[in-house]
Amino acid sequence: MLKLFERNTLNVADITDDTTAIDVRNLNLWFGNKHVLNDISMRIPKNKITALIGQSGCGKSTLVNCFNRLNDLYDGCKYEGEIVIGGKNINSKKVNVSRLRTQVGMVFQRPNPFPMSIYDNVCYGLRLQGVKTRRHLDDAVESALKDAALWDEVKDRLFESANALSGGQQQRLVIARALALKPEILLLDEPTSALDPLTTLFIEELMAVLKKRCTIVIVTHNMQQASRVSDYTAFFHQGRLIEYADSDSLFTMPDKKQTEDYITGRYG
Amino acid sequence: MNSLFSPAHRQSLVISLTAFFTSLLLIALVSVLVLISFRGGAYFWPEPIYDVTYKDAVGSEYGAINNTSDTNEADNGNKKPQTSIKDRKNRENKENRIFAQLYITDEAERIYQVHYADDQSPYGAQMQLAEADVINMELAHNSAEIKTIDGRFVLGQPQFLTTPDSRRQDLSHFADIQSRVTALSSQIEKIRSERLSPIHESLASLDGKGVNRNAPARKRLETQFERWQHDVIHFEQERDEYELRITFANAQEYSIRVSEIKSIDYVSQLSYFEKWQVVFNRVATFLTDSPKQANTSGGVFPALFGTVLMVFLMTIIVTPFGVLAAIYLSEYAPDTPFTTAIRISVSNMAGVPSIVYGVFGLGFFVYTLGGNIDAFFFADKLPAPTMGTPGVFWASLTMAILTLPVVIVATEEGLRRVPEGLKRGSYALGATKVETIVKTILPIASPGIMTGVILAIARAAGEVAPLMLVGAVKFAPTLPIDGEFPYLHLERQFMHLGVLIYDGAFHSSTDAKNSSMMFAACLLLLMVVFVLNVLAVILRTRLRKRYLQG
Repeated sequence: MLKLFERNTLNVADITDDTTAIDVRNLNLWFGNKHVLNDISMRIPKNKITALIGQSGCGKSTLVNCFNRLNDLYDGCKYEGEIVIGGKNINSKKVNVSRLRTQVGMVFQRPNPFPMSIYDNVCYGLRLQGVKTRRHLDDAVESALKDAALWDEVKDRLFESANALSGGQQQRLVIARALALKPEILLLDEPTSALDPLTTLFIEELMAVLKKRCTIVIVTHNMQQASRVSDYTAFFHQGRLIEYADSDSLFTMPDKKQTEDYITGRYG
Repeated sequence: MNSLFSPAHRQSLVISLTAFFTSLLLIALVSVLVLISFRGGAYFWPEPIYDVTYKDAVGSEYGAINNTSDTNEADNGNKKPQTSIKDRKNRENKENRIFAQLYITDEAERIYQVHYADDQSPYGAQMQLAEADVINMELAHNSAEIKTIDGRFVLGQPQFLTTPDSRRQDLSHFADIQSRVTALSSQIEKIRSERLSPIHESLASLDGKGVNRNAPARKRLETQFERWQHDVIHFEQERDEYELRITFANAQEYSIRVSEIKSIDYVSQLSYFEKWQVVFNRVATFLTDSPKQANTSGGVFPALFGTVLMVFLMTIIVTPFGVLAAIYLSEYAPDTPFTTAIRISVSNMAGVPSIVYGVFGLGFFVYTLGGNIDAFFFADKLPAPTMGTPGVFWASLTMAILTLPVVIVATEEGLRRVPEGLKRGSYALGATKVETIVKTILPIASPGIMTGVILAIARAAGEVAPLMLVGAVKFAPTLPIDGEFPYLHLERQFMHLGVLIYDGAFHSSTDAKNSSMMFAACLLLLMVVFVLNVLAVILRTRLRKRYLQG
């Protein structure tokens, strides 16, 4: 009977090299003098949904931005340690950051479609890759929009401005935009915090489908969401990884006192 | 007293005070618009001609003062009337009768500003006339305002036309005769360009080869030349014998060559609709003709063209310059005191008096840069300067420097308005910084950039002082563009609407009192700037709609 609700998850300790998508090793990060991430080590498993929770300013979004080196945009950001994706340390200077970002897609808190047509939005990344053939682009747009469950709603107005879409549609368009590049990892930085509950549910269902083809890392403030959708959950507090376990164990019997306080809403 | 300082009253006092200054502003704006439009528009309006009999009271305060002396009449076959003091003395206290167009300059003292024509000054003159001196005044129905090709006008009553065979023709044949004259003119022009010029060139080349003066080839050419020259003279004589005979108010007769007449308007008997037709024709002339009579009549086409060309070149120079500088400042430059200093000096550059830029343009662009270009590339033409002299290119470059801060500041403003989320979205899709700037930031910032460019254009179109130092002149014999290689002559001087207005303001004090070409040019400049601004607003809203809203 209980098997119905059991998730097919392993213990965190049992994640092997083969099943690791992102291997974070002793990551430290500073913004100026502020030590934002303090010695983080964790393995994020392939084709699973991993949720990062914690109060605002605990460093979870910063950690996600490390996975596609988006922190490079900020002046005064320094980091140490390794992040291994696909066998390569992406913190190395030799890494082609543009190529890395095509492999690690990202969706932000606020939907940020470009002020272009829906079609051009989805093609943005592909065109940067040098894909020019109309047929390839058409196919990619269709499959990406279908993957993001947006195709049926927009197929008749692909060339209208993306700004005319609703918030939920815009967020799915942004997901489609990232999926068009066929990323191995999809980073979702509080993707539903600006959306209504129904749209949120829709996007959560979408995530469950998408995890078959890519690894998903989601940052969320919503504990219910984390427990609903994620296979693994990591709890951060003040730049440290406090606890990292499969979601079932973390939400039902957390090891650490801090985690328990947080998930029961006693602080944060 | 108490109630005056109650809070409610204090508030209403503040409201009245602020509203008062707002209404002053409104009045200032409206009066500028009304004055310019009214005076400028009146320049085109056909004023009726009156037949005025007045007492010629020389010595009185408002006696006839002849403002316009008749110039350039030596080539005119007619007797040149000389208006001298002696003439005046002789006419003292005599009654004079003139055809005149009247403008009331002083309502209280009843003084007219008068454009008139009589046998003493057939090509029009101006004077002031007190109403007290007027004996009789009535509308002259049959008299016409006859404009000549060189921009002068004659007020007179057309009588008949004379032809080379000394026959009189009725006035109704005017169009017919005018087309005959035009045909003759074009024939003369054809002979000149197709026959005389080639012979002249061959003669010149013979000269260059040092051929003997009596060589048969030269003789033959010279005979040909003389024969064609003879034809030209013959045709010219024939053309000049077509004349229009007119009479002035005092019954004196006068003849005008048909070839010199541009238009005949019976302004006193025009209906309202016909007056508008005349206005339309005059506006067309104004826009397409070149200035005549030292920029007091004719058209402003070269000035309009010069303004547009200068502004166009300036835009081409300033847009990439300003946009790239702004991109560096806002996207790449590190946040150091030095960048802050650059930003502050850019904003301050906008406040530097424009004449300083003019002097800089003259000193650096024209003399230093232009002089060096001459020394290196046009050394064969020295000492006559090619680029080392004021010209349209240097003027555009100077104006580009002058308007650069406007473009930089507006572009930076536009770039700063691009949402951070969009930039990050672009980076997250694997775009490099350059790709992000080109594909995302610039399109979104384009309304800001457009605003800057249009502001720059509006400023450049209205600027006068620096232009006069670096290339704009009161009268340029040629346009900076023509059919001769390299077609666009950037080193040439050019005419500018602002300079034309400036020149007009110094012409005579009476011109400023009523409608004149200066006001018409002012109106045109105002309209050019207005149209540019409206275009800017439309373009900006369209871009904004496209890039920022739904």
